[in-house]
Amino acid sequence: MTIDRQPGDLHDALAKTIVGQENVLESLLLALLCNGHVLLEGPPGLAKTLACRSLAAALEGDFKRIQFTPDLLPSDIVGTRIFDQRESSFATVLGPIFANVVLADEINRAPAKVQSALLEAMQERQVTIGPESHALPDPFVVMATMNPLDSEGTYALPIAQMDRFLMKINVGYPTREEELQILDRFAMADTQPVRCVATLEDVRAWRAAAHAVHVDEKLKRYIVDLVAITRAAQSVSVKSAGGASLKAAELIDYGASPRATLALAFLARGRALLVGRDFALPDDVRAVAASALRHRIGFNYRLATENVSADAVIDAMIAAIPAP
Amino acid sequence: MARKLTAPLILVAAAWFAATGTAQAQTLQRLTVESFALSADTTQPQVEVPFHVIVTLRVRENVSEINNLQLPMLAQLELLGDERKTVSDPSGTRYQEVVTVVAHADGRIVIAPATLQAIDARDGKPKQWFTNDLPLSVHSSAARIANGVAVGLFAHVARIFAALLWLALVVGAVVLTLFLLRRRTPVAAPPAVPVSYQQAPVLQAPLLSEAERRRRQIEDALLVLRAERTRSAAVRVRAAIWRVIGAPEGETLADVLRRPGCGEGTLRDLLVALERSAFTYDEDLPRAIDDACAALERYSASLT
Repeated sequence: MTIDRQPGDLHDALAKTIVGQENVLESLLLALLCNGHVLLEGPPGLAKTLACRSLAAALEGDFKRIQFTPDLLPSDIVGTRIFDQRESSFATVLGPIFANVVLADEINRAPAKVQSALLEAMQERQVTIGPESHALPDPFVVMATMNPLDSEGTYALPIAQMDRFLMKINVGYPTREEELQILDRFAMADTQPVRCVATLEDVRAWRAAAHAVHVDEKLKRYIVDLVAITRAAQSVSVKSAGGASLKAAELIDYGASPRATLALAFLARGRALLVGRDFALPDDVRAVAASALRHRIGFNYRLATENVSADAVIDAMIAAIPAP
Repeated sequence: MARKLTAPLILVAAAWFAATGTAQAQTLQRLTVESFALSADTTQPQVEVPFHVIVTLRVRENVSEINNLQLPMLAQLELLGDERKTVSDPSGTRYQEVVTVVAHADGRIVIAPATLQAIDARDGKPKQWFTNDLPLSVHSSAARIANGVAVGLFAHVARIFAALLWLALVVGAVVLTLFLLRRRTPVAAPPAVPVSYQQAPVLQAPLLSEAERRRRQIEDALLVLRAERTRSAAVRVRAAIWRVIGAPEGETLADVLRRPGCGEGTLRDLLVALERSAFTYDEDLPRAIDDACAALERYSASLT
């Protein structure tokens, strides 16, 4: 299959608007290629909304933003049926979820029933309002954000629901040089996102190409080993903040699900396509492993009491499995 | 014919410390090497019949393990297993590594010497020791049967010859005894002189330059890949080249490319090409192996 426009073109277009945040851009593109959704955790003001808006603009797709609040209702997201007095009938009003790129801002501020309405739509890719089912547009990418700073009045996402996100990205602050670039780029005028770099049809073709990317048997075994060690990490040691050596297994209640195995394979394929390869490498798996596993592992209280970062444990587990 | 003999199933095996010239003197063990030899349980192995190549090292010190011992490239053989044994006693340590291999084609094979890097406890200087090389003559089953007949005939003749030799020795001994008995004045025995047994020096070959050593290993790898254009050969060559540049197993290509000197030029191209041949899809494999062979050639040329 020949595709004139490549996913890399989309990446370049986004990089013209977003300074730094390479992992956010890559995760957005991977979600697009792998038909998945992304959970972003990071403080406000790190261009999450801009990245999402730029992606929709570059694709000529629809973009909607939903600010999650404690009083939000499921119908505010998926839509509802209202009675039209003139016609004396019910009419369906589709909610903001009917867009190609949806930003679910501060998803943990809404109660569980709203979260589950969104997550169900993400999984099923259709919404039932009254007697009718409505298919969501294709492509459909949800980028949900969580703010780690204000935990008061939030509803933590259960692991079972987080599992539906293809990947979770920790968004960090830009470097000093990147921040200077941000000043130069945004100080003078309101920078408009690059428009129409690719079409929605291109995205569908890329997805087919990503699906066809070859994953060697050795790589499949590597993926399975990576997920398996999250369930039995007795052999992995991590250092606590106090310098004590701890077994990773003591910090984990339960490991990643087989959905993580599938996610790792999808993401490795997507990353290979993103860099222009039609076969995946161990580097692809390792590059996406932390993002695919981070939100699928159930850590226990000792992680906090021992002052160990979850990413340090995940990195140690990834390092413990030799690449093929 | 010779080139054809080198064709089937070649394995680049076990080069623990391929970049031997770069081994740090500080990390070397202090050893008094008494013997260091390479042998096999047969010098005439049969095609598809496993046999053992044995590296034996005897040192005067009591050590629990031997570091910086590099096995030779076992070209033209497939590695089936590897077993190491270290036995210490009051007189020193005996290290033996038994590599189980199998040949897939008949012909003559010469296994290059194994090497050991250590600080010589006699003078405190870092040195490199080499074993003997090991010529093998691999026989096919048919050749073996024919050879067996020839060997049988030869053994028959040899037995007759041995009997004649014994007879001549007995006659000679009788004549010598008679001659001595007829002598009148006995000859006084010379005073005993203490014999000092000087230990035979361990074979110490001149050190090859790092580039030359690496070039030879690259050429071996090229030989392997040309002869066996399969995924498994590509994977083995990839592993061997990683060892040559000192990259441990379990790293990814990105890790290896970050090593000094690996991220640019012909070496980078080679590493990328080998990665492709190890992981690409089956239809692309012939092209990937062609590219890997070309990259091996270019890298080898860059070392000369």
